[in-house]
Amino acid sequence: MTMIRIEIDGTEAQVAPGTTVLEAVRALGGHVPTLCFDERQDPFGACRVCMVGVEGAPGPIAACMTPCRDAMKVSTSDATARRVAAATVELVLSELPEPPAAHTELATVARSFGIDGDDLRWPGEQHVREHDERHPYLALQQELCISCGRCVRACDEVQGAFALTATGRGLHANIAAGLDQGFRESTCVSCGACADTCPTDAITEISLLALAER
Amino acid sequence: MSERFDSDVSTTCGYCGVGCRLEAHAVDGRVVSITPALDGPANKGHTCLKGRFAHGFSRKRERLRTPLIRTGDGSFRAASWDEAIALVVSELTRIRDGAGPDAIAGLASSRATNEDCYVMQRLMRAAIGTHNIDNCSRVCHSPTSWALRQSLGLSGATGSFDDIEAAGAAILIGANPTEGHPVAGARIKQATLRGLKLVTIDPRRIELSDYGVLHLSPRPGSNAAVMLGLAHVVARDGLVDRAFLDARTDGYDAVEDLLADYTPADVQRISGVPAADIERAAHVYAEAAEACILWGLGVTEHRYGSEVVRLICNLALICGKVGRPGSALLPLRGQNNVQGSSDMGALPDTFTGYQSVADDDVARRFEARWGVPMKRERGLKIPEMFDAAVAGDLKAMYIFGEDVAQTDPNTTHVVAALRSLEFLVCQDIFENETTKFADVILPASSFLEKSGTFTNAERRIQLVGAAIDPPGDARTDFDILTTVSAALGHDMGFATPADVMDEVAQLTPDWAGVSHARVGRRGLQWPVAADGTDSPILYSSQFALPGGRARLAALPYKPPGSEADEQFPLVLVTGRRLEHYNAGTMTRRTHNLELMPGDWLELHPDDAARLWVRDGDVVSVRSAHGRIELPARLTERIEPGHVFTAFHFPEIRTNLLIGSSADINTSCPEYKVVAVDVRPVAEQASRTPAIAAAT
Repeated sequence: MTMIRIEIDGTEAQVAPGTTVLEAVRALGGHVPTLCFDERQDPFGACRVCMVGVEGAPGPIAACMTPCRDAMKVSTSDATARRVAAATVELVLSELPEPPAAHTELATVARSFGIDGDDLRWPGEQHVREHDERHPYLALQQELCISCGRCVRACDEVQGAFALTATGRGLHANIAAGLDQGFRESTCVSCGACADTCPTDAITEISLLALAER
Repeated sequence: MSERFDSDVSTTCGYCGVGCRLEAHAVDGRVVSITPALDGPANKGHTCLKGRFAHGFSRKRERLRTPLIRTGDGSFRAASWDEAIALVVSELTRIRDGAGPDAIAGLASSRATNEDCYVMQRLMRAAIGTHNIDNCSRVCHSPTSWALRQSLGLSGATGSFDDIEAAGAAILIGANPTEGHPVAGARIKQATLRGLKLVTIDPRRIELSDYGVLHLSPRPGSNAAVMLGLAHVVARDGLVDRAFLDARTDGYDAVEDLLADYTPADVQRISGVPAADIERAAHVYAEAAEACILWGLGVTEHRYGSEVVRLICNLALICGKVGRPGSALLPLRGQNNVQGSSDMGALPDTFTGYQSVADDDVARRFEARWGVPMKRERGLKIPEMFDAAVAGDLKAMYIFGEDVAQTDPNTTHVVAALRSLEFLVCQDIFENETTKFADVILPASSFLEKSGTFTNAERRIQLVGAAIDPPGDARTDFDILTTVSAALGHDMGFATPADVMDEVAQLTPDWAGVSHARVGRRGLQWPVAADGTDSPILYSSQFALPGGRARLAALPYKPPGSEADEQFPLVLVTGRRLEHYNAGTMTRRTHNLELMPGDWLELHPDDAARLWVRDGDVVSVRSAHGRIELPARLTERIEPGHVFTAFHFPEIRTNLLIGSSADINTSCPEYKVVAVDVRPVAEQASRTPAIAAAT
């Protein structure tokens, strides 16, 4: 197998054909923030938070979807890429009625960009609180959903229950179990893979709702 | 994540034999959440509703928190540990001195750790002086263990779950993994979506059948005919790997002669499987470059279960599909540590690593280590223990982590045996059907409260870590068993479970390089060489039998021990549901009970119409051994003539229906074929359909 030579933030590396830029960065111990990515699922490329700069490219590219090419030079600190990604995260936060809980991936990503949820540049319409706690273990908090699709893909690609779908459009996009009749009445097998992958606690465990953040 | 929790402990799931690695998160001494470990080799960041959610039982009010001693009026009173252990020691000593050590028997648990099981068998062998030690794998996969040793050499899967993704085709027989082994089931389902050609063989059309290329529904008890039919087609159509057979196996000539009698037409007559499906299934398996065979208790829990496992080995050997990535034989082990409890010598005929108690060199090694002499004759298997108790020869039992009065077959006989004992010690986490007959109950610990190792269905030894402490005065099983042993005069000298594993490594060639430090986060698949090298794939160059050659077995089909007749016209098959686990001791004490509050009998609509049973009606199910009642649910996933239920609910007591018919080589009960009569009960006039509707 012919290996591909790339350079990431000035460090040269050899990777196998098919390796994505994100995989290469992480293999070298580097960091690129992500929201819709989960290593248990195929890359999705929806959130545009994993943007990096590539020498010679017309603009930043999504690291999770881009295969490494020979002689590629990647910059994870590229100013344009960071600006685009930060703006994306700010827009995502602007739709939430309250800042994400500190332990969530979304909060961690926002912190990595230095974004303070109380001081957003583009305030606008926000999701309306809507909770479904009919399942004995799983809670659905629609207002926290950022439409990253990770829960749907976990259900399809990890468990294979095909119970979850995205419904609605734009600000009104929501996650539905089955034909929106709730987890218990859908084909859900209660494996919890959706709650495990959710970066915002839009799907979480009932037992954790009351647990105080420390 | 961890700022919400007091502690995060990596451990291994205590439910089925898949062996998911988990992270247990605790607050104020309670587990509040469990998440899958991303680096778990078997689960790869996934787990099921049992592993993830069913942990609430660990702090249920009815957990045993203090030792209990039976009083004169038959009730139990709380006692101190000193008093309870003193009573155990005085009674066991009295019975041993009066009737001899073989009047005492012990059961270890396939839910307990390797270290617990090792300590339990050493307690029976060294502190008591008997080989009367067995474990619950007797009633599930003992036929698998026996047959794999006969055919290939070692008692374990030849590969790993990773082989499923590396295979082009797979045969799944007598297992329903999306319910019984959900994470393995999910991996198989995903593999089919990526192109794995799956053949399912089961009397029920299981969920995975919908994702496979072919489903075969043989009559219960006819698995042997199906396996022989597949081998017949392989031989007839020139799909035999002759080079592999010649270089690495013995016994094919006799098998070839036998196969002549199992044409697809013959097999159709015996099993009900269409001849064309036998032919196609054989080609799917044999023509794939790499292919796996997976099986569960639908193969083993039969009168000739161990022989069917040998026929499965035959098929793989004839096609040369053993010992390579993607070509593996993968038994789906039922409980979390079915593999390990037997590996640890909690068996009446073997020490650790299946070393025979009759082998003088082996026995001398253990005698030297433990400082006691031992017999060279094997002890009693579980069913023999009950027979001996009823006969009055067995007078005391020490039952650890097993509810035999619910889970073993022929419940009436088991209860009679327990009643016959002079003294019964139960060591468990809850009172159960068996503890009702106990003289002393010792409060023990669940898998969330102890440390040690479990060995999963891939022979992978994985660390178990204590996420919380046992409740009240309950103790870890390691602590209880070593304390009892010392009180009986045999101090094992172990300070921690890690010390136990060090002794196992010293006494067991296949475990020579195992230590808790080496097991680490990734686990080790035995055999483990002294330098720590483990064995994800067995038999890549030779088999673990004399000459390095596998043994094919020329075994014909024989009819099962129980068959439908005039009096009992339907065949009952028993199995598991997704939401619950075995006796239900743990899952029924969690919110899983909301997801599945009770059981039902699956019945084909054609049979239901003939019996005047409607969906939801309560029916009586009667066998030659007993009778139960439960609601019926109509489904076309089961073949006409067959009915199905699980055994998770003690109030239903499914095992009252099961007789004493058992595997001829291992005494594993025939849970999977019971002739029964089904009819509606408590009929009111309004429930009876009009004559026109019933004809």
